[in-house]
Amino acid sequence: MSNQQLPEILAAVFREIPNLVFTEQTARRLRVELRPDTLPALLELLKGRAGYLHLSAISCVDWPELDEFELVYHLWSYEVKTLVSAHIYIPKNPGRYVSVYDIFTPAAFFERDIHEMFGVYFEGSPDMERFILTEWTGPPPMLKSFSSLGYVEETFKWEQYSPDWLKEIQANGGGIVE
Amino acid sequence: MRPENYQPVEHPASQEYELYFGPNHPGIEGNYALKVRLTGDEIVGIRADGGYLHRGFEKIMEDRLWIQNVALVPRICVPDPPPMEETYARAVEMIGGLEVPERAKWIRAMILEMSRICGHLFILGGTAAPIGQYSNMFWGVADRDYFLDLFEALTGARVYHMFITPGGVRRDIPDGFLDKLSHILDYLEARLPEYDDLFFNNPVFHKRAEGIGIITQEQALAWGVTGPNLRACGLALDVRRDDPYLIYDKLEFDIPTETSGDVLARTMVRRSEIIESIKILRQIIQHLPQIKGPIRCNLPNPLAWNLPEGDAYARTEAQKGELAFYAVSTGGAKPWRVHVRGPSSMHAVQVLEKLCLGGRIEDIALIMFSLDACPPEVDR
Repeated sequence: MSNQQLPEILAAVFREIPNLVFTEQTARRLRVELRPDTLPALLELLKGRAGYLHLSAISCVDWPELDEFELVYHLWSYEVKTLVSAHIYIPKNPGRYVSVYDIFTPAAFFERDIHEMFGVYFEGSPDMERFILTEWTGPPPMLKSFSSLGYVEETFKWEQYSPDWLKEIQANGGGIVE
Repeated sequence: MRPENYQPVEHPASQEYELYFGPNHPGIEGNYALKVRLTGDEIVGIRADGGYLHRGFEKIMEDRLWIQNVALVPRICVPDPPPMEETYARAVEMIGGLEVPERAKWIRAMILEMSRICGHLFILGGTAAPIGQYSNMFWGVADRDYFLDLFEALTGARVYHMFITPGGVRRDIPDGFLDKLSHILDYLEARLPEYDDLFFNNPVFHKRAEGIGIITQEQALAWGVTGPNLRACGLALDVRRDDPYLIYDKLEFDIPTETSGDVLARTMVRRSEIIESIKILRQIIQHLPQIKGPIRCNLPNPLAWNLPEGDAYARTEAQKGELAFYAVSTGGAKPWRVHVRGPSSMHAVQVLEKLCLGGRIEDIALIMFSLDACPPEVDR
């Protein structure tokens, strides 16, 4: 995408951020890659100058081979009418990043969700308590290293499952058919 | 019935007490709970507690083929499943570069608008029930059933249709379907004055809903409110208009708004949206017979279908607000990651907590239903 097609208001914001690479995926979809330390500045500028008031979502992607988490901030402007997806990569160890709650209130929900599902800690986020997995003691389940099938096979020993009603059926020649 | 993790908070020498509102409570929508702290009947603290319907969709989807997930996604939201199918399908189409045939686009839009009416009828009944107006709830559910009959005739299923697939739709519309749809739309339009008399113009409802759960325009934008809840604050913002998909740029429809941002405004926006959806469906009934061609683009063998590397963010104006799917492909037969942004992930947690605080206990159910907060989308 050449700079002529990019709305000038966005081009001016992107020029302010060092090492920012952007591509147009489809109509009204901009993919932006940048360094993690410059992301809060980009969000502030987009919000203040280009009307990016709506944080649609924050997505997290686990990349075990890179040993990194990819955080994607999807922002929508009701004025420019273009979605900017800002991609950053943070190292898995220690898996910490800053919260953008002071820029976008909805960030609190997504940061809490990512903390719960991936184990990324967001410094400054108002609420990092568990929401969905309150009684879960295992590792963050959305990590690629966590296998849900493996967990089920390890936890629920169905071969050893023999309640009284099943014993009764087995006594009559029935039972679980594999 | 208390959940296992319930720990009452001790408040010695205080008038405050704690109440567990849900998960088994007639005033809560779906499987959800609110921990409420009260003084008398005034809410001094409130905390949403989700996870009662967590089924791990995002994790399960990573272990399924791209095409298998078509059967999985509608189950995320019970009252309004087709937008889930549509958004997932569109994310896959964006990554795979698939071109949906024109006829399929029109059929998809028809399904989405039918689903919007279904969802609105359902939630308008829900909004009436917490103030004791059960007849409206029965009417809403009964009239929604006519649309479920149509869905059954079209797709073979009443609630989870799995009809919108990447690349198009599963089947073409059966003979005489548009006539049936037209008949039901006439019926619903004739029914609306009766709904007005029973509910929308009911002074009891007005007295109960006015000034309750007010969201200002600034708050709505700051809190990430979308959909009818945003339009009830006077902002004519709609994904169908701002970020058009399918054929919405070819259709004529208004974006109804209200200004007060309270329970009444949100309910009246939903009423107007039913009328707009009827208008859209009439245009589709008129145009669809002239649009010939295939209903699906050519796909490779779906069981050995590797999407190219890439990612896509698809957005849809669902009945409850902005729905989005973020899908990442690494070039394999299965998604590497799918993130679901349910419209209620904002409405049911942060917005609900903020609106209830300082209010009274009898308003919790009314505010929650008026926000159309759907916990299954939050839990996923």
